[in-house]
Amino acid sequence: MILSEKHQMMRKLYRQFAQTEFTDELLDRLEETGEFDWDIHKLMAKYGFMGVKIPVEYGGQGGDSLAYALMIEEFARVSPVLSIYANTSNSLGAGPLLFCGTEEQKRKYVEPVAKGEKILVFALTEPGAGTDAGGTLTTAVADGDYFVLNGRKTFISGAPMADYAVVYAKTDPTQRGSRGISMFIVDMKLPGVSCGKPEAKMGIKGYPTSDLILENVRVHKSDLLGPLHKGFATAMKTLDGGRLGMAAQAVGIAQGCLDEAIKYAKERKQFGKPIASFQGISFMIADMATEIEAARQLVYSTAVRKDAGDPEASKLCAMSKLFAGEMCNRVAYKAVQIHGGYGYIKEYKVERFYRDARITTIYEGTSQVQQMVISGNLLK
Amino acid sequence: MSTFVNTDPSAFHGVWVFCEQRGGELMPTDFELLSEGRKLADDLGVELCGVLLGDNVEGLVPQLGGYGADRVYVCQDPALKDYTTDAYTKVICDIVMDKKPEIFLIGATNIGRDLGPRCAARLHTGLTADCTSLVVDTAKYKEFLKSTSTLDVDGMKWDMEDKGLKMTRPAFCGHLMATIICPRFRPQMSTVRPGVMKCAEFDQAKADACKTELYPVSLCDSDLRTKVLEVVKEAKDTVDLIGAEVIVAVGYGISKDPQVGLDLAQKMADALGGVVGASRAAVDAGWVGADQQVGQTGKTVRPSLYIALGISGAIQHKAGMEDSECIIAVNSNSSAPIFEVADYGICGDLFQVVPEMIDVLTNK
Repeated sequence: MILSEKHQMMRKLYRQFAQTEFTDELLDRLEETGEFDWDIHKLMAKYGFMGVKIPVEYGGQGGDSLAYALMIEEFARVSPVLSIYANTSNSLGAGPLLFCGTEEQKRKYVEPVAKGEKILVFALTEPGAGTDAGGTLTTAVADGDYFVLNGRKTFISGAPMADYAVVYAKTDPTQRGSRGISMFIVDMKLPGVSCGKPEAKMGIKGYPTSDLILENVRVHKSDLLGPLHKGFATAMKTLDGGRLGMAAQAVGIAQGCLDEAIKYAKERKQFGKPIASFQGISFMIADMATEIEAARQLVYSTAVRKDAGDPEASKLCAMSKLFAGEMCNRVAYKAVQIHGGYGYIKEYKVERFYRDARITTIYEGTSQVQQMVISGNLLK
Repeated sequence: MSTFVNTDPSAFHGVWVFCEQRGGELMPTDFELLSEGRKLADDLGVELCGVLLGDNVEGLVPQLGGYGADRVYVCQDPALKDYTTDAYTKVICDIVMDKKPEIFLIGATNIGRDLGPRCAARLHTGLTADCTSLVVDTAKYKEFLKSTSTLDVDGMKWDMEDKGLKMTRPAFCGHLMATIICPRFRPQMSTVRPGVMKCAEFDQAKADACKTELYPVSLCDSDLRTKVLEVVKEAKDTVDLIGAEVIVAVGYGISKDPQVGLDLAQKMADALGGVVGASRAAVDAGWVGADQQVGQTGKTVRPSLYIALGISGAIQHKAGMEDSECIIAVNSNSSAPIFEVADYGICGDLFQVVPEMIDVLTNK
């Protein structure tokens, strides 16, 4: 796909930002401490990255899905974890609010999030409800002007630093599965809200992930998001955007791996010549580049078609995430292989990419969920 | 010795129980086995005898009588003060060959499990380990099968000896129940799992009526190849979930007052002789040490009794405890998943429920 001049300029900006600001020192610190870095978060907010896809009237940049995908890709190419910093507010955080929030809710919550003043996270997963979100056990019981929430969410990215969370809870226990679920905007400072210990993860270290615990949390009815009992169906419509972002992240990680593999294959000599001159290695690189390009074009065209209101968008977003996530893992595997023993050492960047890549086929819907969405679309 | 013929069942009479003592104290299994042995002896119309080995242990006899023994054979010798395989096996085999009991029961304690097989091999007879049910009447055995199994009892062929001992024991980690008989050799021996048989009420009249029969011990140095150097009693302060028979586990439900919640769990564990475990949420909150965590990323436990206090029962926790023999859950949320695996569930505030449970346990 040929990018417009505007999008080319944007890509250049994202690339420059990532290359100059995502320093090795910063990335090593994120890896070692696992802690959120507020400085880089503030800097991203200053450039408007937190609201790339959020409309201008709510404090965002008013960009389209393609701009958002380009940003995530370019950021992930240098640092997969930092690409998440700019992702949440643009996808699952503000997504449901923009989709079905009231004017008042958008003003109150989306604006500070778009400007990077507040952090909003998405809390759906529970210990017993991952792929099967219908297994949600968190409850919300109406009590006068309030709903009383009780339950436990798990693997909530960003929970420890969040100001608000979009929480899914069962409001109608008589309905089975994913029906009877409602969305709430929960202020993390409310009494009864607490976080578990940040999880020690394989990769994407530096964006803390933890449990979110709700004990008799009283949420005002004005913070009910979207229709009562129908929150889940609404949520599913907003997940497409997030999936596209994660597909773009996978493309970025894969591109970062390829960059490293090419550089190393040209430098490293065995049998008296660079290993890049061996066909075994050069063909691997050819395959990697081809797969990345295929995934990239799928992501870009899906972004454009989604914004154009294509009825196929849901299926295409799932295809993008499925293909890009799996592709990214194949590429990362080969990049480590090309590095040989050095690829297994933390000093070489591919080792971190390899660990970061692994989550891309799991979160925001596993590859298997994407297959369910795609086949469900095709086999109606 | 060589004259001992053990293939003539008609020459053997009486039900015997090995009465284990440690440091001059009788074991609870003695009373359980005597209570059970009493029923067998009554069904057979024979005497129930205890066999007591030790040093100056005569005084313990009335206690054994109170639980059903008609007679107790006492073998006293300084060499029998502490258990050793050699000395006990020699003395017991001597008296068994002499008196010829038809049934000989031993508690499946560490000592009993060591002693039983040794005696059985020397006597060349059959031994069933870790029994949970013992019956002599075939009619009673059929009743037992009807109430505990899915077998078509009436449609089966019955050709087993009436009045022979039917010894039932769990095999393959409790996944299979096997009833074993020992038709051709005597005595019929079994070790019985502690805590399985119900203890009868102590009966003072029977205690007074119990006969003491001192039996001479013949031991020479060549019989004793093991020597006890020292008996050490371990202080049981360290928490070890693995191998604990009773675990009282706390979850995030104690968050209202973690200290009080932990104290309650500890009190309950003490009352039941168990240890305190925890869910990951309670460990992450810093209330309990990580070595006490039960679950996928903690320890996998299989106690006889697992009590879950304020644990929601996420699959990650259940994976570590669902094989417990009995699970009791206390949780204020009636739809908590823990109730799916619990044998007994109490829906209520643990801060109110647990003190009452402790009351019942400590004033039983």
